[in-house]
Amino acid sequence: MPLLRRAVSALALTSVALVAAACTPAPQTEPEAVAGGTLVYATGDAEPTCLDPHVGGNYPQGLISTQYLEPLFGRDADGEIVPWLAESGEASEDGLTWDIALRDDITFTDGTPFDAEAVKVNIEHLQDPDTASSTGYLSVEQVEEVEVVDETNVRLHLSTPKSALLEVLSQQWSAMQSPAGIERGMDENCQAPIGTGPFIVESWAPQQSVTLVRNDDYVPTNPEIDHEGAAHLERIEWRFIPDAATRQSALASGEVHVIDNPLPADIAAAESQSLGHIDAPRPAAANRIELNSAQAPFDDALVREAFIRAADPSPGIETLFAGTASRSYSALSSAEPFALSDEELFRTDPDEAESLLDEAGWTERADDGTRMKDGERLAVRFPVSTNQSTAAEQSLFEQIQSNTAAVGFDVELQPTDLSTWYGALAAHEYEAVSAPYTTVGPDVLRILYHSDGTVPAPSGYFANNAQLTDPELDALLEDALATTDDAERQQLYTDAQRIILDSFTVLPLYDQQNHFLTNQVTGVGTLHTISTPTFVNAQLTE
Amino acid sequence: MTTLKWLAAKLAAAIGVVWLVATLVFFALRASGDPLEAILGGPGSQASEESVRAAVEAYALDQPLVSQYLLQLRDIATLQLGDSFARRQPVADLLWAALPSTLLLAAIALVLAWILAVAGAVVQSVSRGRFGRAVGSVMRALEVVASVVPQFWLGAVLIMIFASSAGWLPATSTGNDPASLAMPVVTLAIPIAGFLSQVSRDALDTADIAPFATSARARGASELRVLLRHTLRHASLPAISLSGWAFGSLLSGAVVVEVLFARPGLGRLLQQAALARDVPVVIGAVVIVALMYVVVVIATDALELVVDPRLRRAARARRAPDVAVGS
Repeated sequence: MPLLRRAVSALALTSVALVAAACTPAPQTEPEAVAGGTLVYATGDAEPTCLDPHVGGNYPQGLISTQYLEPLFGRDADGEIVPWLAESGEASEDGLTWDIALRDDITFTDGTPFDAEAVKVNIEHLQDPDTASSTGYLSVEQVEEVEVVDETNVRLHLSTPKSALLEVLSQQWSAMQSPAGIERGMDENCQAPIGTGPFIVESWAPQQSVTLVRNDDYVPTNPEIDHEGAAHLERIEWRFIPDAATRQSALASGEVHVIDNPLPADIAAAESQSLGHIDAPRPAAANRIELNSAQAPFDDALVREAFIRAADPSPGIETLFAGTASRSYSALSSAEPFALSDEELFRTDPDEAESLLDEAGWTERADDGTRMKDGERLAVRFPVSTNQSTAAEQSLFEQIQSNTAAVGFDVELQPTDLSTWYGALAAHEYEAVSAPYTTVGPDVLRILYHSDGTVPAPSGYFANNAQLTDPELDALLEDALATTDDAERQQLYTDAQRIILDSFTVLPLYDQQNHFLTNQVTGVGTLHTISTPTFVNAQLTE
Repeated sequence: MTTLKWLAAKLAAAIGVVWLVATLVFFALRASGDPLEAILGGPGSQASEESVRAAVEAYALDQPLVSQYLLQLRDIATLQLGDSFARRQPVADLLWAALPSTLLLAAIALVLAWILAVAGAVVQSVSRGRFGRAVGSVMRALEVVASVVPQFWLGAVLIMIFASSAGWLPATSTGNDPASLAMPVVTLAIPIAGFLSQVSRDALDTADIAPFATSARARGASELRVLLRHTLRHASLPAISLSGWAFGSLLSGAVVVEVLFARPGLGRLLQQAALARDVPVVIGAVVIVALMYVVVVIATDALELVVDPRLRRAARARRAPDVAVGS
């Protein structure tokens, strides 16, 4: 039903868009930016259960906390780490000690000074089991001790080297909060975390909105701020509008100024409706299908290659996403500087797929055309999380199902809710799966493809869905994490990606989609870390 | 049967319904997923061993399922709804915050559905001649369409027309502002109105040719008087008894409408909690909905007794009415 509903609304909106396009008035002069005012943001992501991204740690928390919490480091447009609340970060020769120098001119919005002690409190907060941090915890997992050297210097002592430390510290999920705010306890801190960002959490009306007010004393740490002092906007009203068509209507009618998660058709129509469009793909992993190499039939590399030769996702991506998503040939996001892309490896060739399957011994045929071997059907269970996969993506999977059926695969798409989906993965009841993963930096490859990732976390979760257990790959990923030399690191990640792509366990599809549409506002940007929007330069227009 | 006995029987049935609902929800949720996920920041959480251990202890998840179920029943019986797994706030607070908005929506929608239904039935009943027959067929077709139209579609179309294109109404709904209530209320009311209208029109048609209407006309009563004094009252009976059902269907429709119009409320709370497997919130919300439903059904039963003296007499005589006697 949600699929049908989305389809109906998309269809309905497209027709409205066409009508609107037909009667667009003559182009007007560039609208004037105004000072102050309230920007209304409408998110389609889930409403956070806690506004402190240390608790849990998912993308919706990353989105909103970008407005009031800032991390120690950030990234520039080229993917280079740049200091934010920190001045610099240096690793020792053995990679086990990190010296981080801090700015001395920053104060949290409750008046607490930002200093070395605050960094210590934050890292310990992330590591405290009572915080139940999942994402932020991973970034400081290897930190054994936080040593306060003096007011503006901290030294992190690690149990194992971690070259990705500054990258993961740049994530919103390990951003810095006022120690006094944390001290209030989780209940209060979840309602209104206290940071150093351009805005301050004023109030939260559940299911409705979070009200943010300008931090008048904001000291710019974001290097991309284009003016002196505080943000232009006076307030931000952060609204939760779960239905995509409703969000789009609210944007078109001027009720809200910025929306996230727009439908592909709405993105395509944005220009003709004079709406702004920001395409900010999420970093780390690309959206991809992973083939479970730990059990039949994909424990046979020939069968995996055959699947990839037959899948042919490109035409589907082009049409279903209305030209708003580009095909990826890499395990990593195009936002990652170290991403290795290999178009030739993923070429479509159904004839080759047929001969590969013949070679692998799947030569018999069932009545419905499915290939058989020793009485076994060439069946592929493909659980699909309807919470994570958009309508367009689900349609793409249906096309892949049909394309691979032509060479004899029987792909069974299993649409489920998120919990059931994780349940199927944990029980290894899948041969193919598409799982998003957002973090910062190429170390995501270790999370997704190191053999350690086949062992479930205490909560039952494991990330290595391809079930790759390759000692050579493990070694490359570990060495890449340990090295402090950038060139060497890049070489190691390139070699690791070569192994991953050549294994045919990964079929890259496209970058993790992250689009924003805007109306009557200028200066909206996105961070180069997890691609969340920032309104530090934003101004409403008349 | 005395009023007290009648009430006691109804209450016993109500408790039975709530127990059944709570039991079904508890086992359905626990059979299909691990509540740990909700506690530890959603599915796929990479929570550490310590966090898992702390959560298991805090929520008694290490105890056998039957003990957990009995604990849950005890809590419901004493109206202690516990804390939300995901939000770590008391469930009662969450429900209390969400309830007024949904009740307001459902109540206005029910009133509007009634007005539309009665108006529709009356228009058809008073339309005479060839034109009247044409009006009747159009109305009957409209009733059918109204009662089967999917609410998510109806709502999306309304948003497109009145928010996107015309810009007259906000696409989203909050609070008691009439402008923001208009579209959600209409979306909820139309299918119910279509259904109530069909039922009351049938009853009105039956009453219109009943002996009491004929005799009233013979005494010289005007058509309007016959309608207001005699037939409408008769026709409202099945619709009154259906209002209990209608209220239940309004509450379930609230899930669709609240998500569509981004309106805070019980329906959206329930939907979010169900997706997150937030067991205490789902059980709390479902128990409250079941309670309200039962209360409304009892109220409509009582209202029927008030409107229809025959039922009162029958209840006193402890037997079913044998013939329909004119008023």
